[in-house]
Amino acid sequence: MDAVVTDDLLAQSAAELFARHATPAAVRAILGGGPAGVLWSAVEEAGFADALVPEEAGGAGLGPADALPVLLAAGRAAAPLPLGGTMLARAALARAGMAVPSGAIALAEALPGEALRGRVAAHGAAEWVLLPRPGGARLLPVAEAERDDASPYGTVLRWASAGNAPTLPEADWMAAGAWATLAAMAGAMERILEETVRYATERRQFGRAIAAFQAVQQQISVMTEDVFAARIAAQLASLPGEGGTGVAGLDTARIAAAKARIGEAASRVAGIAHAVHGAMGITAEVDLHLWTGLLHRGRLRFGAESHWNAWLGAEFLRGAEAQSLAFVRARLAPPLAENRPAEETTP
Amino acid sequence: MLTALPLSTIPAADEALRPAIRAFLAEHVPGIPPEIRARSWMGFDAGFSRALAAKGWLGLTFPKEYGGAGLGPFARYVLVEELLAAGAPVSAHWIADRQSGPLILRFGTEAQRRFHLPRICRGESFFCIGMSEPDTGSDLASVSTRAVREEGGWRLNGAKIWTTNAHHSHYMIALVRSSGTAQDRHKGLSQFIIDLSLPGVTISPIRDLAGDAHFSEVVFRDVLLPEDALIGEEGGGWAQVNAELAFERSGPERVLSSVVLLDAWIGWLRAEGAADAQSTALLGRLLGHLAVLRAMSVAVTDRLVRGESPVVEAALVKDLGTEFEQAIPALLEDRLGADPAREPPAALLRTLAYTSAMAPSYSLRGGTREILRGMIARGMGLR
Ligand SMILES: Cc1cc2nc3c(=O)[nH]c(=O)nc-3n(C[C@H](O)[C@H](O)[C@H](O)COP(=O)(O)OP(=O)(O)OC[C@H]3O[C@@H](n4cnc5c(N)ncnc54)[C@H](O)[C@@H]3O)c2cc1C
Repeated sequence: MDAVVTDDLLAQSAAELFARHATPAAVRAILGGGPAGVLWSAVEEAGFADALVPEEAGGAGLGPADALPVLLAAGRAAAPLPLGGTMLARAALARAGMAVPSGAIALAEALPGEALRGRVAAHGAAEWVLLPRPGGARLLPVAEAERDDASPYGTVLRWASAGNAPTLPEADWMAAGAWATLAAMAGAMERILEETVRYATERRQFGRAIAAFQAVQQQISVMTEDVFAARIAAQLASLPGEGGTGVAGLDTARIAAAKARIGEAASRVAGIAHAVHGAMGITAEVDLHLWTGLLHRGRLRFGAESHWNAWLGAEFLRGAEAQSLAFVRARLAPPLAENRPAEETTP
Repeated sequence: MLTALPLSTIPAADEALRPAIRAFLAEHVPGIPPEIRARSWMGFDAGFSRALAAKGWLGLTFPKEYGGAGLGPFARYVLVEELLAAGAPVSAHWIADRQSGPLILRFGTEAQRRFHLPRICRGESFFCIGMSEPDTGSDLASVSTRAVREEGGWRLNGAKIWTTNAHHSHYMIALVRSSGTAQDRHKGLSQFIIDLSLPGVTISPIRDLAGDAHFSEVVFRDVLLPEDALIGEEGGGWAQVNAELAFERSGPERVLSSVVLLDAWIGWLRAEGAADAQSTALLGRLLGHLAVLRAMSVAVTDRLVRGESPVVEAALVKDLGTEFEQAIPALLEDRLGADPAREPPAALLRTLAYTSAMAPSYSLRGGTREILRGMIARGMGLR
């Protein structure tokens, strides 16, 4: 089947699913500590969580770029689910020939030290946590963790022992988690843009829609630029790297660029959205904060801009390239098309 | 609402041009100091343009029968990207190759094509663009330079300003009023190819804040234009000009204007181990921005190749791209002054000084930031 069509179908079915099951009310209930089981079951039934699992192992055999529309759709709904993490963890387990347990898997950012400690976000519905450790990532049951919910940015989980938890070979799970996070952020930003444009054309002041004011228009244009940049950054981050050694073939350099760029866009987009919504946007009742909250939490998770900018700068300096553009072409651009003919102009 | 841009790549056959271009540039450009290379597409060197012409690299997208190479926009994209990354002095042929030639190809008569295009491809004909006037900037429809029909041609009076390279050019393509009055706005405007050697044309270079004289004021006093100076349709100037502008907003030149400075700074970081944690993070940030902008620019070019007209998407690339270009000198002023005990190399500082001074022009030329944001707002259904 044609790749573009598959893409659209997937995007459409994901959009429909989240519109039906991840309504703002459902999202609020989960964020408030309620169960996420119903929403997660719908996602499971649609097969989204097995999107990256090879076909031989019963999955859809898609790559991250094919699965991106699903994560964007989840972000548009601000669905507080560990969907990207589950996709990646299941793919890695299946590829390693290990058993894939039922239930959602949240990726954790490991906290250093002897103890088995990690931070997870959006882990509603998660039964498992994948905790990267020296020597490999451990798959640990949530039920056996001691939890600390003091931080609004994520729960810190701690296990007394790993027992005989399955261990995946070492991989860049930090980048993998950043990919899942940035995809949700890019999706949320698209939703924020739509909501902001809608609000600006509905809300009236001085006898006209606030969208009629040039100052408002210019702010929304800036937001549009950032949202577009974020979307293309997410697409870039979903492409395999040379050699494809990352989780599901993901590439750390592309993810570094995208997570930092999207984080930068996120604070500008959230700020403009709230400015345009006025006091109404500050209310609990209006849903805007569901998406802007996702952006603020997303910035901190799996490395904020400072982390990835430093990584990428150091990566450049480790090599010998003199030109910024040559580095971008070699490391941060889509892989070259091998067999498309050059266009001839018709006189 | 706009739809997302699919990622695109440059076709392999067009990429294949890159090594030869890089080899040529490695031979011709490194001798030029960085503060001169920083002039980017405003650096003038007719000899260099002719050397490119000799390689067959001017008019790459023009059909072969007019002296071009018959290649697509992506071939030119590769060429331009390498020229700008190297800081090659491209301005002599830049406007003819990028705007005037394509305009003549699209709207010109067969005779106009046969006359002008081969000369452009040989690097013998340089062009400039006469849109702005002393009282006409963003509000382009208010132009008041006027062409009046008379026996055997047109009589031209008025003045153009900020005309890049007018004093080095053979021809100007100007937007002028050919009927009606200023109240008619975009109706009654036409484009003319003006031979700048005609009697009655006075060109006065204007010195810019960096000390160069790259643009001019051009005054027309009773200039008699021949019949065939009109390009395209009489009264069709407004539509033609807008088609022209849409094509020049999303190319590498809207992202790479400060790249010579960026690379000069990188060279210093490497050579003197000046890369502290903050500089390293800034470098990473700029690389990330460049990667995303390039992907957007290539994606918009792909739409142009497919015959679409992504006007709003192009405006978006230009605004974000020029913001990046302007951020580079602004951020590097801070980096290069971060350690008062350290004196960065003078050539790097001269490159910084030039780029900082000229950077404001990046978001003026080709439509100001505010005008572009207005176009995006229209695309989003806000106006
Ligand atoms: C380096 C350089 C090279 C150039 N080369 C050429 C050339 O070769 N040929 C040519 O024809 N022109 C050229 N120009 C001129 C360029 O096209 C104009 O500078 C541009 O169109 C803006 O016009 P202006 O400078 O008169 O500014 P103005 O139009 O006077 O604008 C001044 C300020 O007011 C704002 N403004 C104006 N109207 C509005 C509005 N409706 N809403 C909100 N804000 C508004 C602008 O955004 C800007 O911030 C060049 C300019 C530069 C800097």
